[in-house]
Order: sequence, then C-alpha cells, then structure tokens
Amino acid sequence: MRKYFYCAKGIIYKELLRFLKEKSRFFSALVRPLLWLFIFSAGFTSALGLAIIPPYESYITYETYIVPGLVGMILLFNGMQSSLTMIIDKEMGSMKILLTSYINRNFLLFCKMFATAIVSTIQAITFLVVAYLYGVELSIIGILLTIPVILFTSIILNAFALFISSVIKQLENFAAIMNFVIFPMFFLSSALYPLWKIKDSSIFLYTVCSFNPFTYIVESIRFTLYLKFDPFNFYIIFFYFIVALSLAFMGYKAKKVLKKS
Amino acid sequence: MKNTILELENVSHKYDKELVLNDISFSIEEASFFVLLGLNGAGKSTIFSLLTRLLSLQSGSIKINGYTIQNYTKALKDIGIVFQEPTLDLDLTVRQNLYYYGALKGLSFKETLASIKDELTNLDLNEKLDTKVQKLNGGHRRRVEIVRSLINKPKLLLLDEATVGLDLKSRFDILDYLRHKVQKGEISVLWITHLFDEVQESDSLAIIHKGEILATGTAEEIIAKHKQADLTETFKYLTMENPDA
Repeated sequence: MRKYFYCAKGIIYKELLRFLKEKSRFFSALVRPLLWLFIFSAGFTSALGLAIIPPYESYITYETYIVPGLVGMILLFNGMQSSLTMIIDKEMGSMKILLTSYINRNFLLFCKMFATAIVSTIQAITFLVVAYLYGVELSIIGILLTIPVILFTSIILNAFALFISSVIKQLENFAAIMNFVIFPMFFLSSALYPLWKIKDSSIFLYTVCSFNPFTYIVESIRFTLYLKFDPFNFYIIFFYFIVALSLAFMGYKAKKVLKKS
Repeated sequence: MKNTILELENVSHKYDKELVLNDISFSIEEASFFVLLGLNGAGKSTIFSLLTRLLSLQSGSIKINGYTIQNYTKALKDIGIVFQEPTLDLDLTVRQNLYYYGALKGLSFKETLASIKDELTNLDLNEKLDTKVQKLNGGHRRRVEIVRSLINKPKLLLLDEATVGLDLKSRFDILDYLRHKVQKGEISVLWITHLFDEVQESDSLAIIHKGEILATGTAEEIIAKHKQADLTETFKYLTMENPDA
C-alpha cells in the first residue's frame, strides 16, 4: 500500500507543479466561463424565459441557470487540455516514463485522472466564488458540497479525454477533437438551456442530449449546488464513470501504446 | 556460475502483417555489459519496447530476473530505463524530475534522493539539483536520465541509444561510468546502439539485422569466429551491408 501512496502523491505533485507554473492556463480557463457569464448570459437573459424546473423552487435568472453548465465547461476544457498534454507527453516520450513503471498501469492512469481532476476542481471552485461575488444566486454550503461532485465528474471527463488521447496519434488532430467532441458535447447538453426547451424545438436533438454524459454531469452539479439529490442522475453518472474508466484503461493497454514509427 | 538476469526466447513480433522480429533469443548474465548492436530499423527499439512493456509480447517469452514480462509488477520492479528520446520534464527542476520518477517506483522523496546519493556525486549533479532541466546542456540532461534510471538501485539497466546526439567526451564518460558499475558487480546493462565504437572486445554482444540475431558471444569471439579484422568488418561480412554508408 505504501508504494501506491507515494506513487499517487508523486503524480499529483507533478500535476500541481505544472499547474502552478502555468498561471496563464489557470487564467484562460477562468476567463472563458466568465465571459459567458458576464456577456453571453447578459444578452440571453431577456431572450430566454425559464420555467420553474428542478432543482429550482422559484423563477431564476439566466445567469443562475447557466452557472452549473459553465462549471461543466471548465471541467470539459481542462480534461481535454490534459488530453492535449498527454499527446505531447506521448510525442516527447515522457508518457513512457509513466507507463513503464512496475506499479499497476490502471492505478497510474487513475492517479493521472485524479490529479487533473484536482486542478479542474480548483479552477471550478474559483469560478463559483467569482460568480457568487458577482451576485449569482449561490450558497457557500452549496459550493462546498459541490466539491466532491466536481471532483468525481471531472474524473469521468478526464477518463474520456485519456481515451481520446490514446487514439490520437498526432497533436494536429486535436483541432478535430475540438470540433467533433468538445463543442457537440457542450452544446448538446443542458449546460446552456433546459432540456424541455430543446424538446420543444427538436425531439431528435432532445434524444441526443439525453444520451450525452455531459448533460448528467451538469445536472449533478446543478442539483448539488442547490442542495438537492437526484438518485437517477447519480446512477447515470456512476454508469458513465465505469464506462469512461474502462475506455481509458483499454486505450492504454500495452499493445496500443506504441504504433509502428 | 552467474545467474541470468534477462532472457529472451524465440521472440517474434509483427506490425500489422510485417514481421520485424524473427525468433530472437539471447540472455544476459548478472553483472555483465551486454550490447545489442544493429543498424537503424534492425528491430532494436522493438525489443526495447517489448522489454519495457510499451508493446505487448506476441510470441516467445521474456523473463526478467526470473519473472515473465506478463508478470510486470515483479519483472519491471528491478530495472532502470533510459529512452532514446528525452523524457525529462523541461519545466521542472532536476530534483522535481527525480522525485516524480522515484514516486513512480513507490518511493518517498527522501528515499529517492537517498538511493542515488552516490550517483549524484559521481556524475557531478549535486549542484544542479535545483536547476530547471531546460537550462541544462544535452550531456547533463543525459546524466540526469542515467541517475534517474538508477533510483532504487535496479539490478538491470536498459538503455536505448542513450548517447545519440552527445559529443564524444560525454558519450564515453557515460559508458565508462556504467562499465565501472558493472565491473563492481552492482548492475547489469543492456546497451542498445548502432555505434560500433561503443563496443569493447570483452563486451557480450548480439548483432541484430533485419529483425534477426546474426551472432552472439563476446565481440572478440565473434570477430575471431568469422576471421575478420574488426567488428565493422565482421558486421559487413555478416550482413553484406556497410554500416558507414
């Protein structure tokens, strides 16, 4: 057990060191959702009417509605950013250091996802605090209770990102990932508008959104922020947790690490 | 009689349908300096990737320190690895890089430094511990990677073209240092290279060409067996190819 503890500590240590050294990454990760909160939501407030939907018990502003989705955005982009560094690591060779350890490879990969999730959580909580100070209807208890949910859901996104990094051979392909994974995942979810609004417009889009794991991630954050628990949502994200981890572990099985150079 | 630290038996490997290793067998004894010599594309790096489990074994068997490679939590425990390409994190200091690698071996930060105390002194790296890797020259970076591979005192060191890109002095400093450790019986070394001048006559050697082992033995024995003047001539004789071309 001792070796696993030191191994996990080392991987988290390195991820935090990288995070502290790349301050611009922290600020850009924060600026993106803040722009959406301050500018995009300001424009949409008057255009979009929101009914009373769970977990909310009264009418809310669009700023309030959009905040959990923007937290999800931070987790999604940070997960993909970590996927990007994995591709660089693979190209530079430093990923090989991780994968040639005698310690169980799945454990190493889980530590990597967990370490990235810690960084994502720091960014997400910072964003929530800024939103709270800006006047969005949030409670300190809600923010504190969301921390484990953010950590857990971030691991799901990191695992998907890790799987993607295992199938991408070159860094140039990352732009395609932006267009074909990140944006569809974000827009085809309940991050920006409630699912019933989408259902009104298109049953097909609503069905797609209903299968999008990001929808459930955003909803689990939303419910926790407002001190509510939705068991159905929990089962779904737990299911995606297992699926995402399995994909990530399969992606980095020995035979798939190296392709013919 | 010395124990066998590494054993490959009838190892073959294909990339898609292309056979890149054909029935490779050789073994390395404890406390020996073993050179795997071949031109680029001979299959050296594929063997290295199989030994480090970056590729999975398709056929044959690999045993490290008595454990099959499939049992990697035991087989890889006592090996150190130096890759052909740089694998240090340039933004971190030497100390931070060493801590990270030590952690991947299940060691605390304190244990990591304690296990390479002598190596840091012998390779003049004590004063560089808090220097960012990006500020080090190529020779020093390679030394850090050598020291890193010696964390936790491995029994076998695997080095894939570890001196490529270094000047002559740096190359032979590293070679001399490792040969000295082998002579003291501290470690066994698998030195993978395409550079003929890195081979000494007393070294155990396997010549690999187009995925096949053409000769094994000490360099001296192989040269004598084929009645050639030196290793380069022997290689030309065996492969019908000029390594200098």
